[in-house]
Amino acid sequence: MLFSSIVFLYYFLPILMIVYFLSPKRFKNMILLLASLFFYFYGEPKYVILMVLSSFSGYCHGLWIDKAKGSRFSKLPLISSIVITIGLLMFFKYTDFFIKNVNWIFKLDLSPLNLVLPIGISFYSFQILSYTIDVYRGDAKVQRNFFDFTTYVTLFPQLIAGPIVRYTTVEEEMSHRNHSIGDMAYGINRFIIGLSKKIILANSLGELGNIFTKINEKTILFYWIVALSFMLQIYFDFSGYSDMAIGLGRMFGFHFLENFDYPFLSKSITEFWRRWHISLGTWFRDYVYIPMGGNRVSKGKWIRNVLVVWFLTGFWHGAEWNFIYWGLYFAILLVMEKYFIKGILERLPVFISHIYTIFFLLISFVLFNGDGLKGTMENLKGMFGFLNIPFNNHVTMYYLKSYGILIIIAMIGSTSLVKGFIEKIVGNKKGERLISILEPIFHIIMLLLNTAYLVDGSFNPFLYFRF
Amino acid sequence: MKNMKNIIIILCFMMITLGGMLSSIILPDESLSFSERRRLEEFPKITMASIVKGEFFNQLEAYSLDHFVFRDDFRSIKAYGVFHLFRQKDNHGFYLVDNTIIKMEYPLNEDSIHHAAKKLNEIGKRYLQGKKVYYGIIPDKNYFLADKYERLSMDYERMIEIMRQRVENMNYINLFETLTLDDYYKTDIHWRQEAILDTADRLLEAMGNSYQVSDIPYERNELYPFLGSYYGQVGLKVKPDTLIYLTAPYMKDALVFDYETMTKSKIYETEKFAGMDSYDVYLSGAKALITVTNPESNTDKELILFRDSFGSSIAPLLLGAYSKITLVDLRYISTDLLGEYIDFSKDQDVLFLYNTHILNQSYMLK
Repeated sequence: MLFSSIVFLYYFLPILMIVYFLSPKRFKNMILLLASLFFYFYGEPKYVILMVLSSFSGYCHGLWIDKAKGSRFSKLPLISSIVITIGLLMFFKYTDFFIKNVNWIFKLDLSPLNLVLPIGISFYSFQILSYTIDVYRGDAKVQRNFFDFTTYVTLFPQLIAGPIVRYTTVEEEMSHRNHSIGDMAYGINRFIIGLSKKIILANSLGELGNIFTKINEKTILFYWIVALSFMLQIYFDFSGYSDMAIGLGRMFGFHFLENFDYPFLSKSITEFWRRWHISLGTWFRDYVYIPMGGNRVSKGKWIRNVLVVWFLTGFWHGAEWNFIYWGLYFAILLVMEKYFIKGILERLPVFISHIYTIFFLLISFVLFNGDGLKGTMENLKGMFGFLNIPFNNHVTMYYLKSYGILIIIAMIGSTSLVKGFIEKIVGNKKGERLISILEPIFHIIMLLLNTAYLVDGSFNPFLYFRF
Repeated sequence: MKNMKNIIIILCFMMITLGGMLSSIILPDESLSFSERRRLEEFPKITMASIVKGEFFNQLEAYSLDHFVFRDDFRSIKAYGVFHLFRQKDNHGFYLVDNTIIKMEYPLNEDSIHHAAKKLNEIGKRYLQGKKVYYGIIPDKNYFLADKYERLSMDYERMIEIMRQRVENMNYINLFETLTLDDYYKTDIHWRQEAILDTADRLLEAMGNSYQVSDIPYERNELYPFLGSYYGQVGLKVKPDTLIYLTAPYMKDALVFDYETMTKSKIYETEKFAGMDSYDVYLSGAKALITVTNPESNTDKELILFRDSFGSSIAPLLLGAYSKITLVDLRYISTDLLGEYIDFSKDQDVLFLYNTHILNQSYMLK
């Protein structure tokens, strides 16, 4: 089920809220579990069993790891958990990728399995791994209640597109969480903001990308506009989903960590990855990069660590070469920044650092969005004038004018300008009163506008569902 | 103050979401959307197979969208958001100028135009040897406004150029000069019958017929409100049109025969005005093959009109000049079947009359 759907917004959510808040405390987790299973079943009926089995595996491995602590074979249950969880992820997500490449390398004709990717498998697999690794390390207590553990894994707000909520983040709240009017209102506001980012901004910018693929009269300028709009689209799509997840979590008493922190304000690629998809970045940092030695190793090993982590980050995003190139592209940039560019950037005016960062991010998202390497190269050639096309024409101007305001709103919205402005107003009493009146009105108007966009049935897929 | 604000937000959110849900459940379902001219989704049948395959939930999504309370009003809000808040130039390819809804047909599909020319040539060679054959192209509304309002449009000159180069042994009748934007409905794709008397004259004159449509004292009959096919698609609330159909004494006993249903009807079927497509008032709307006979005609001359829906409203005007008009809609009947139903051996003018939308999507011509 999509958050950005009438069924979720006007049926699933209000019914769940009523049932949840009218139920005694001891039933609340069970209600969330059943609701989450239904939420998943609604969009992916067949794979709900796979998800429950994965949870069961994580639960049993947690118990086994806890039992084996201090023994000679304490690592065995952890290795078993990693092999099973990663094995399932590899099988469902990457089998066809490997078959395709084996066919290509060895000139074979093996048939692909054509498996449908189970929605959210990349996210819930990483959550299960974070749990078993943390139990092994002693950072998390073992969960002895299977239903509570499955509730954590399948919790619908973050189930299918993150953020990757670690068990330690919600460990306490699984058994003791408070519900307050403040949290509920915050959650609703945050959910509506996320919904607006997704439906009004990301989907509209996505329409521009779709239009671009269909027109024949492409120009260099249009290639750049689409690259910019895709970068903004994926930001609003994914950060919108994270906002909705965080908001929904808060409504039901959970405090998920932030997943984005105005990434386009970054002055370097290194900083960007501290602000973008934070839950994934920290996951790889804590469970792959640091165990490999992090940066406390020789230069050569550090470069190896960076390459491995970013290869995995790219590959996690999708079973296509362009995602691997995308990850390695960042690895190269991060190495370059550490040894060459960082010193130069520090001496230059800040706006040049921003331009440098945005330029390389634009290119990265062209890689990310490319339909294979050929498609990516085509787009890059278009952007840099190697396709023998004009710089501009009336078609480009039409769409620039038509989507100009949306792009400007999206650009401003991707910065902290609005937040800073509101904080400035709230700084005095009059301003605080004004915001107190305007805030609910704004959110209700946005809810109705989002409903209008939904009812009109426009373009609506979540980009991060494919991961 | 802060607590009050929070309570207001929660109450409003719950009222809107619960209200939306309850209203959608309680209010009776409509089966048709007249503004969008389509059948609305029905509540899906619940079967184990449809649930396991996910079909049930997909259909439920479509159903929930189709039957959401105040659906048309929400679609209007979205359209206002697109046009006025985000200042976008079109909504689903439609734009609005002075209460007139225009579809932005773009770009020109040259392959489709070549295909249309090929289709005309095929019919010409198979059935129309030795006859005088004519063709006319009806511009869409975007032709008149695109440049002025900086919208995208197909390359009309190129379309005509291809047709004139490719179509063999047929005479082109230029209608781009006779038509203006005022000749079309504001909420619909079609031209207004009462505004195309001069166009009918232009066609007849080009075909060598001295009959003057504009000399006939037609009686105007009004039907209101006419919400055209664009009305529901643009999403905005605009003033409805008035559908006017013209009657004259020669139409009184004229008979329409539908070869598909083997039934007879009148030229104007006013009860169709309340149906899904009000333009069906003219000759009962889209039909594969019909004939209209004029018992009061002073001539034996006939017209074979290959047409789209625009032909339905101009045919009654042209009927005064002929004893019979055969209307062929190639979207619904194959070229191969024409010889079985139409006697091409008579004294006939032949006219292909298509609007630019059809030519740009001509693969629908069978």
